[in-house]
Amino acid sequence: MSIHRRLLLKTTAAGGALAAFAAGFSETGRKLVKGAWAGEKPENAISGNAPKPEFRIDPANGDIVLTSGQIVAYTGCIGCTTLCGVRVRVDTEKNKVLRVAGNPYTPMSTDPFLPYGTPVRESFKALSRFQEKGLNGRSTACGRGNAVLENVTSPFRVTTPLKRVGPRGSGRWEPIAFDQLVSEVCGGGDLFGEGPVDGLAALRDLKTPIDPAAPDLGPKVNQVAMITGVPDGRESLVQRFLQQAYGSINYVGHGSYCGGAYRAGSGAAFGDTKQQPHAKPDIANAEFVVFIGTAPSNAGNPFKRQATLISKARTDGALRYVVVDPVLTNARAAAAGERADWIPIRPGTDGAFAMGIIRWMFENGRIDERYLSQPNGKAAEAAGEAGWCNATHLVVVQKGHPREGCLLRASDLGWVTLDEKDRYGDKDAFVVLDPATAAPVAHDAPMTAATLFHQGTVTAGTEDIAVKTGLTLLRKEAMRLDLRAYSDACGVPADVIAGLARELTSHGKKAAVNSHGGMMSGSGFYNAFAVVTINTLLGNLNWKGGTIVGGGRFPESGDGPRYKLSSFPGRVKPSGIPLGRNVPYEKTSEFRAKKATGKAYPAKAPWYPTAPGLTTEWMSSGIVDGYPYPVKALLLWNANPVYGIPGAHRFAQKLADPKTVPLVVAIDPFINETSALADYIVPDTVLYETWGWTSAWGGVPTKMTTARWPVLVPRTDKLPGGQPIQLEPFLIALAKRLDLPGFGPDAIEGMDGTRHPLETAEDWHLRAGANVAWLGKQPVPDASDEDIAFSGVGRVLPALKATLKEEEWRKVAFILARGGRYQNQVEGFEGEKATHRFAKALQVYNEAVGTSKSSITGRRWPGTAAWMPPVFADGTLVSHVYRPEDWPFQLVSSKSVLVSAYTIGATRLRHLHPENPVGVNVEDARRLDIQTGDRIRIATPGGAELATAIVRHGVMPGVLAVEHGFGHKEFGARAHVIGGRRQPDVPEIAAGVNLNDLGLADPTRTGASVWVDPVAGTAVRQGIPAKLERTAAA
Amino acid sequence: MDQSRRNFCLGFGAATVGAATLSPAPAEAVAAREGGDPAHRWGMVVDVRKCVGCQACTVACIMENDVPENSFRTIVSTYEVTEQGRSGTYMLPRLCNHCEDPPCIPVCPTGATFQREDGIVVVDNTVCVGCAYCVQACPYDARFINHETQTADKCTFCVHRVEAGLLPACVETCVGGARIFGDLKDPDSTVSKLVRERDPKVLKPEQGTQPRVFYIGLDPKFQGKVDGTPTLWRPSPQPHADAYAGKENA
Repeated sequence: MSIHRRLLLKTTAAGGALAAFAAGFSETGRKLVKGAWAGEKPENAISGNAPKPEFRIDPANGDIVLTSGQIVAYTGCIGCTTLCGVRVRVDTEKNKVLRVAGNPYTPMSTDPFLPYGTPVRESFKALSRFQEKGLNGRSTACGRGNAVLENVTSPFRVTTPLKRVGPRGSGRWEPIAFDQLVSEVCGGGDLFGEGPVDGLAALRDLKTPIDPAAPDLGPKVNQVAMITGVPDGRESLVQRFLQQAYGSINYVGHGSYCGGAYRAGSGAAFGDTKQQPHAKPDIANAEFVVFIGTAPSNAGNPFKRQATLISKARTDGALRYVVVDPVLTNARAAAAGERADWIPIRPGTDGAFAMGIIRWMFENGRIDERYLSQPNGKAAEAAGEAGWCNATHLVVVQKGHPREGCLLRASDLGWVTLDEKDRYGDKDAFVVLDPATAAPVAHDAPMTAATLFHQGTVTAGTEDIAVKTGLTLLRKEAMRLDLRAYSDACGVPADVIAGLARELTSHGKKAAVNSHGGMMSGSGFYNAFAVVTINTLLGNLNWKGGTIVGGGRFPESGDGPRYKLSSFPGRVKPSGIPLGRNVPYEKTSEFRAKKATGKAYPAKAPWYPTAPGLTTEWMSSGIVDGYPYPVKALLLWNANPVYGIPGAHRFAQKLADPKTVPLVVAIDPFINETSALADYIVPDTVLYETWGWTSAWGGVPTKMTTARWPVLVPRTDKLPGGQPIQLEPFLIALAKRLDLPGFGPDAIEGMDGTRHPLETAEDWHLRAGANVAWLGKQPVPDASDEDIAFSGVGRVLPALKATLKEEEWRKVAFILARGGRYQNQVEGFEGEKATHRFAKALQVYNEAVGTSKSSITGRRWPGTAAWMPPVFADGTLVSHVYRPEDWPFQLVSSKSVLVSAYTIGATRLRHLHPENPVGVNVEDARRLDIQTGDRIRIATPGGAELATAIVRHGVMPGVLAVEHGFGHKEFGARAHVIGGRRQPDVPEIAAGVNLNDLGLADPTRTGASVWVDPVAGTAVRQGIPAKLERTAAA
Repeated sequence: MDQSRRNFCLGFGAATVGAATLSPAPAEAVAAREGGDPAHRWGMVVDVRKCVGCQACTVACIMENDVPENSFRTIVSTYEVTEQGRSGTYMLPRLCNHCEDPPCIPVCPTGATFQREDGIVVVDNTVCVGCAYCVQACPYDARFINHETQTADKCTFCVHRVEAGLLPACVETCVGGARIFGDLKDPDSTVSKLVRERDPKVLKPEQGTQPRVFYIGLDPKFQGKVDGTPTLWRPSPQPHADAYAGKENA
């Protein structure tokens, strides 16, 4: 037996301490003579500089003694997008975080988590040695979550408002007063000695169209646009400012360069391509799960919760799982033996793999027919199912028919007569076939199964219309290629595909597939649709051990139950076409104008009717080319698209040109690759200094809202009233200066009709907390004095009492003391079914997708899952433009267990993991004479970078694996000069390579572009064509 | 433990894995113990099947104990292992074994290193002269010279927390629940039950050190079968000097 062992660098500690050790050892003799204290003297003879424990607990009786000078507070982490609830131990005198671990009340950090009513005192016992409670009750932070507290004290933090000195991106800034900041951003003027710049006041024109010839673009106010990063629980206030008060339609998040393709494909399956619902496997109860393009414990969201559950399930539980990914990760833990497996796959070909599985399921009769054949929710319930889908619904397939691609409706058959506005809406039933009579009936009529497979015609008045059931269309699509062809496309052997399909269909509802970031390829949308469709065919949604949508959140910013945080007098309803062009091209003035000239297609650049907002398109044709209209002011909030979007680095110079966007304001605690190009930087608070209301991205069966509240005094400058400068006071000050509705005195209406101010961060967040407290069947209890004393909430108690009503403040304190509001774990399932179920129909055939067209080619997209090799915008195969013989490698991005996009400044993480060497398959390396540690040059059609190689068996041949989070040019990689003071030089922050700097443009497009999925509009970072050569030996 | 020393990976590569022995420590070793409560014997069981390699333990230890930069009292060594064409990741959390017969103690010329009556091996940094004999004597690479204090440094099982009725930082934050800590003298403790019932292994049993850190799921078949040199990559001496010069963005 041959065993190869290679150290996985991604988790290898390899700092520069060799010299330190060698020196120490050689000086042994001298030290023996000299005696102790050659170095610094620590506090304690045995425990060194370890601070006093946060509390002491008597192991015999559980009595607790708190440690004076320290608090343990349950709040939230923002170290990555998972947003776990954590416990933060603070030295209150030094205003310093000593350590971070998990909050035992939250499922994000604990399994099993504490019943919500547990007194805070008892929660401390649950973490301790007392009765060994802390073993099963342990509540954790991940490696990154333990280290990210360094961001609080980072020397690279921006703590005062900055205005650029010299050209954009020059790295020179002057601190300015908050009032000057607000005055200049609102008022404009000759701000930089470069000529006049319009401020936000002049740009707020809610009436004049941007283009009188294209009124559908909306008013000029839309030319003020805002890009945001991680939705950290403050976004409802930001949207209130930008959209509902200021009036611009252009607010966008980071989804299009995060996991957007997965969400888009999932959204197609869940019937909502804008909100994009998604489900996750119930890891704790599943028997078999295939993870495709995601790896539990290595990536995915919630990262840590999945890791905890997978570890338990593969040892103490029933779970076996397989990770299908181009790169091996910790998820295939060898010690777990047969419980965990890894199958390498070619990047971006998951759709071929998934359609192979789907084909096998059809061919072998292994689809869940009982589930699939239920035509509506009531029939499904009667059949004992936990959900339903539209597999039986008839689709019009008549070529050239005006309704081609649409689901057949009752009104098509003359069964109902509806107003035009209601036609094809919810009141217009779908049509299925009664298996007994073969007659068409309204989908909501039968209480039993409908015909699953059918192709034929139905008679509508005088015409016969060709129809098929959705499942018939899917089967036809799946049978288009044979298993061998699917196997050839994805590189997974046919017998492995068949074997996985057999295993997946051998566990009833307790089997699932799951995906995430691995879908960010040129085929991402249909790959994800195909992956999620496997779950539909398994009929596993809403089942224990199957897939669950989760309990969601206690919504804090709606209208009530205590305060109206959504509606307010004067609220603007933004109108027009968003900058991401995520609306149907066929409804635009441009289309009509072009159609009039006889050539409706192609559009100037692609449109994405089934997508949500797209930063990918904002950055390229939107901002750089001014299509469909130019941007006059760009606001950035903790966003970094220049670093995060593959290929966006090439827009940095354009962004640096004020002619592209005259005003750029970044709200950010750090100077990142994008905010470095701003005119102004407004300091934001970080981590445990901030307020925010967040929830799980998915995978938690119960309802939950995490409360993030400031357990530290923020390190940003203070305003005259004592408020720290951060996002909220900046927006409030802008709103007041601009005299916007919804801000200032009396801006918030209580449900009892009383009026309340929105002048501070607390005005907003504490009232949101009151809403959270009163949601559900009954409000949360009052916090006891002991809860308050034990939880550190005393720090914010004056604000609670000053802001909230007498009957409210103790309830909000109850929530803050527990770091959120959490439904009890036992309420997650009702028997074998999830308590929180997705009640609408899953879409085997998605009408919105199946009737949409490429705005470039004018061709329709398929309405079912399909395998579609990556194409550029005009439909050209990527492999025809960049041929594999010229570009023999493919880049993939992989998640890091330690580093996220904005944690490179944490020295403790860097010392543990200083660089991201690029994974090269062992056979490829042998051929190119590359050894681990060699310097290599990676070239793509989008650029070239030098990197370090690590030779691995755990990388698919032909693949170059790049871990995300390195290759920074900012965040401290470059020392900026602020008011004449130079930041420290820490070149280590620039270590490694950023895959996104190798991202492609779309060569079939004119103007600025990045390569995106043609349907989802999402960034492509999996499967970027590349060349590889060795440049220097290690 | 100092990462640069002996490449660390060799620790596992060259390490043997074997059955734990629970025979009593030599009388002289027991006699030399001082401090701590003899009613307890603290130990750890690490279930490597549950380790997810997240390094939460590594960082929590650093934060809790103010471990100097670039040094580690505990870490999770992570290896890619390919066996008959099947690749996987092996994750091995490592720390001081708090041995029943610790080889670090007899070599200490000043008596700074000693074992408490509850089995925890500690260093009195007011007595240590930083000679590093103990660092050399430890077969597990569990010790290093703290470059700030110039004294020997190592895992203390977070003795200051254990004495306060709490758990060691690494155990508290173990995401996979792989680290289990408790009293081996208490027959009802979780660690006692696991040691009794799960046939845990220890590292380098042939050294006779009698570790009190046990491993479940460590496969003895890997011992001593290193194929060639483990390819530890390390940053170049002047890291990233060419990070900018090398950029050639098109």
